[in-house]
Amino acid sequence: MIDAVERVTGRIRFSQDASLPGMLHAAAVRSVVPHGRIARIDTAAALEVPGVVAVVTGEDLRRLPGLRPVYGPQIEDQPVVALDCVRYVGDIVALVAAETLQAAQEAAALVAVECEELPAVFDPLEALEPSAPLLHELEPERPHEGTALYFGIRPQFGTNCCNLFRIRRGDVARGFAEADLVIEETFRTPAIQHVAMEPHAALALWEDGRLTVWSGTQTPFNTRQILAEIFGLPVERVRVIVPPMGGSYGCKVFPRIEPQAALLAYVTGRPVKFVLRRDEEFVTLTRHATVVTIRLGLTRDGRITAKEVRAYWNTGAYADCGPDVARKGGFGIVGPYRIPHVAVDSRCVYTNLPPAGAFRGYAVTQAAWASESMMDIAADALGLDPLEFRLRNLLRDGETFATGETLHDVHFAECLERAAAAIGWEGPWRHELGDGRVRAKGLAVVLKGMTTPSRSEAKVGIDRSGRVTVYSSTVELGQGARTVLAQLAAEALGVPYQEIRVVDPDTARTPFDNRTTSSRSTYMMGNAVRQAALALRERLLRIAAERLEVEQADLELMDGSVRVAGAPASALKFGELVEASRQEALVEHGEFRNQGGLDPDTGQGIASSHWHQGAGAVEVEVDTRTGKVTILHAHASVYAGQVVNRHTAELQNLGNIVFGLGSALFEELVYEQGQLVNPNLSDYLIPSFLDLPERMTHDLVERPGAEIHGLGETALPTIPAAVGNAVARAIGARVTELPLTPERVLRAIRARGGERG
Amino acid sequence: MAEFAVVEPGSVAEVLDLLARYGEEAKLVAGGTWVTLVLRQGLLWPSLLVSLRRVSELAGIAVDEAGNLRLGAMARLRSVETLPLVRERLPVVAETCRQVANVRVRHQATVGGNLCDADYASDPPALLAALGARVVAVSQRGRREIAARDFIVGHYQTVLEPDELVTEVVVPALPPEVGAVYLKYRTRSHEDRPCLGVAAVVVPDRDGRLARAEVVVGAVAERPQRLPEVLEGVAGRALDDATIAEIAERYAAGIEPLSDLRGSAWYRTEMIRVFVERALRVARQRARWEGGRS
Repeated sequence: MIDAVERVTGRIRFSQDASLPGMLHAAAVRSVVPHGRIARIDTAAALEVPGVVAVVTGEDLRRLPGLRPVYGPQIEDQPVVALDCVRYVGDIVALVAAETLQAAQEAAALVAVECEELPAVFDPLEALEPSAPLLHELEPERPHEGTALYFGIRPQFGTNCCNLFRIRRGDVARGFAEADLVIEETFRTPAIQHVAMEPHAALALWEDGRLTVWSGTQTPFNTRQILAEIFGLPVERVRVIVPPMGGSYGCKVFPRIEPQAALLAYVTGRPVKFVLRRDEEFVTLTRHATVVTIRLGLTRDGRITAKEVRAYWNTGAYADCGPDVARKGGFGIVGPYRIPHVAVDSRCVYTNLPPAGAFRGYAVTQAAWASESMMDIAADALGLDPLEFRLRNLLRDGETFATGETLHDVHFAECLERAAAAIGWEGPWRHELGDGRVRAKGLAVVLKGMTTPSRSEAKVGIDRSGRVTVYSSTVELGQGARTVLAQLAAEALGVPYQEIRVVDPDTARTPFDNRTTSSRSTYMMGNAVRQAALALRERLLRIAAERLEVEQADLELMDGSVRVAGAPASALKFGELVEASRQEALVEHGEFRNQGGLDPDTGQGIASSHWHQGAGAVEVEVDTRTGKVTILHAHASVYAGQVVNRHTAELQNLGNIVFGLGSALFEELVYEQGQLVNPNLSDYLIPSFLDLPERMTHDLVERPGAEIHGLGETALPTIPAAVGNAVARAIGARVTELPLTPERVLRAIRARGGERG
Repeated sequence: MAEFAVVEPGSVAEVLDLLARYGEEAKLVAGGTWVTLVLRQGLLWPSLLVSLRRVSELAGIAVDEAGNLRLGAMARLRSVETLPLVRERLPVVAETCRQVANVRVRHQATVGGNLCDADYASDPPALLAALGARVVAVSQRGRREIAARDFIVGHYQTVLEPDELVTEVVVPALPPEVGAVYLKYRTRSHEDRPCLGVAAVVVPDRDGRLARAEVVVGAVAERPQRLPEVLEGVAGRALDDATIAEIAERYAAGIEPLSDLRGSAWYRTEMIRVFVERALRVARQRARWEGGRS
């Protein structure tokens, strides 16, 4: 990585290192009830704490002229500070700004909030009952649509469903009628948290009616847009600067603390910094808990005739990007299979829990848990090898997906076969070691879309010193984006990538990019950077050709200069060429778009301009007396198209396996009446090094001449599903709910009538 | 977090003086791994934190003339785990300390601090109880020794008076024919606290019968669980599989476990049966028991 030295020497300045002279510190007062009407807020004691400059409540917010107090990327449902209602334990009721963090936190603890409690609902199915309390009153006349919405949204007005995404392809009734066998099962996943090492951190500054925010965010342009709307400003008067982040995994997608920091800065006239504590991270954004029911029609010879899915995504108190999660999960749940008749109803549902949003794997982890478990259940029901059953049904090049789009560059079967071979699938799938210990193998294969449509722009420039600079709004969150973009520019310009400067995203300096999500940056932004770099190359060649009085075709770029091929003495340094052009710098622009979209009522169209494809395979050992699962070997095979940086690509695969095993085995947010029971890293565990499988292997499937395929998330969703399939094979019973805790596994063994004492 | 003053006395005498003056207003900080957590969670509001890190006389690890292992209250778990003296004399003590949390915590956490937190979800207390260790507590009023098995009385509660300081833990030498083990069972990450932990110590007599058995189950209730009536009932018996199964069954039946994120009460009961049995089998093997199996 180009910033490796800065990272290991501690010199890198992360988002939470941002500071300004005279800045204040923010603290939030949070709701302790899951649903309630605010009766009274007493801020008197808080205001008396020495060092406190302001305490802002919903009432203050409403009194500020010209402000739009509610925001949201896809549905505008989230107040900057609670207005009348609180909707979950952790909802922000008031904000404090003080000279020190300690004073802010002390004052926050002294704000007295009186609430009339309202009935609350936590389960997405209960939330859709007619008697359930409504969290928001969405009305057709007031669509509350956020500016980051890029697809048709279908709230079910008068209910807690904020988006219903549907796929209708063929006729499922006919498909089931044609089946020899119809099976149905329901699967569940819990809410989990991203646990990025660095918490959310933002610093806001107002100067002459302009707002500048330094923030660790994956979405600088969406954040700028939303801040502009809240404060009634043209976007040019809002600037978002993104320093490198200490991890995100989706938790810093869309504004989360920036509006609050900006509001306090607006009220106090001072810069305000807001950094969340770890316990606040846990109630700020989660991965959607899900309930998914799948019905599958099968023929005796192992074909799938029909698939019907009802999926419920528990999005918590505010929609955030939940409507899109339900949409992407809605087609992800079909799986990479050839199925003539498909009906999917995927609902995003409000409940009185912390908001859920983007999470590495974006809906596909939950989708694959259900659909890939179901594939094994089907194979067992048909008496078929789960690998063979999948291979018979996997989509091949040129075949049509459930959305009606034709798939190209298809490698599902290749990924799956490689993963199966890596763990020795041909050997026994299950064997007993004695003493109640059983080993077994499991597989899973997934498809994952990339945000479509979207757009990335980049600029690449050379100054008079010959230094190459890449201007890109792709954010560095530890994934190595700066390195990969520098490499792509370097290749075109014939300079070592280590010498290229990559400017941190800054909406006032770096051009537009949709966002750093969806494993899209290496492909989308990579192409924009490459285009800009190639244009710059052309320009350098043109100038050099004139100066050297030769044909462009006779020139080559080498070590930061242009020369007549094979004639080092003729070399003109980049800096000289810039000078010769009488410019301070030569800058070229590149842009890359992808096109498509789906009809929200039928799910037909283009879901993704190309597809992320991957398979996972694991061997586990289950102690059938305790239910404890140990992963002995995990393998991920991911289609990469063309690898840009082998080292970081490999780390993505391995990181995804580790992330996946946490989801598979123990990560779970536990709520009691809406109150999170484990908001700390002693009670909520993530994998440690000692949890890693004895063997972790992977491969990157490449094809000469292929497009770059992102792989920051692809392997993750395969792991919990593959582990679930291996465990089911080991114990002869199916656990349908994640995580696969020893207790759940033991209960499944007991329910089957096995092993006691 | 609370407002408090921090003092760093340099001797036991100074610590005792502070405790005598401030009593419950003062909180001792040994390694700080537990105090920091509860301070952050706002569960503790002391006005004075008394750091023990400069009290060097508490940090020793030694074997006395009688062969007892004497662990200073400020001995780090990592030191206990790695010191050759401990590994040779009482390998089970080193082994147990190696099971605690992760290496970063063990470099910081101490023997005395761990006992005094009296957190139910902890590893060393069960082992120390099973080994018949004694906790030495001093105050300006005098010195007393408390059996480790009586030291913790409830959730975060010990028998210590507010003016008392634990100075060391004395682990008696084991007879050479002993078999001792601590089995930790984690249900989540490897760095997790125990769902349960079983310490088992067995001593055979000359005839290959059970001279003495100790079984203590940790992390399943508010304090380590020992069932004397079960242990007395099996003395003099052969340590065969049937006896082991019977002890395991009676421990499972005799303990009323709590539920937490690491396992429900039902699950813990099941696991007590499994792990008491497994621990006794390992202990029997370590004692190189002859003719025990049937």
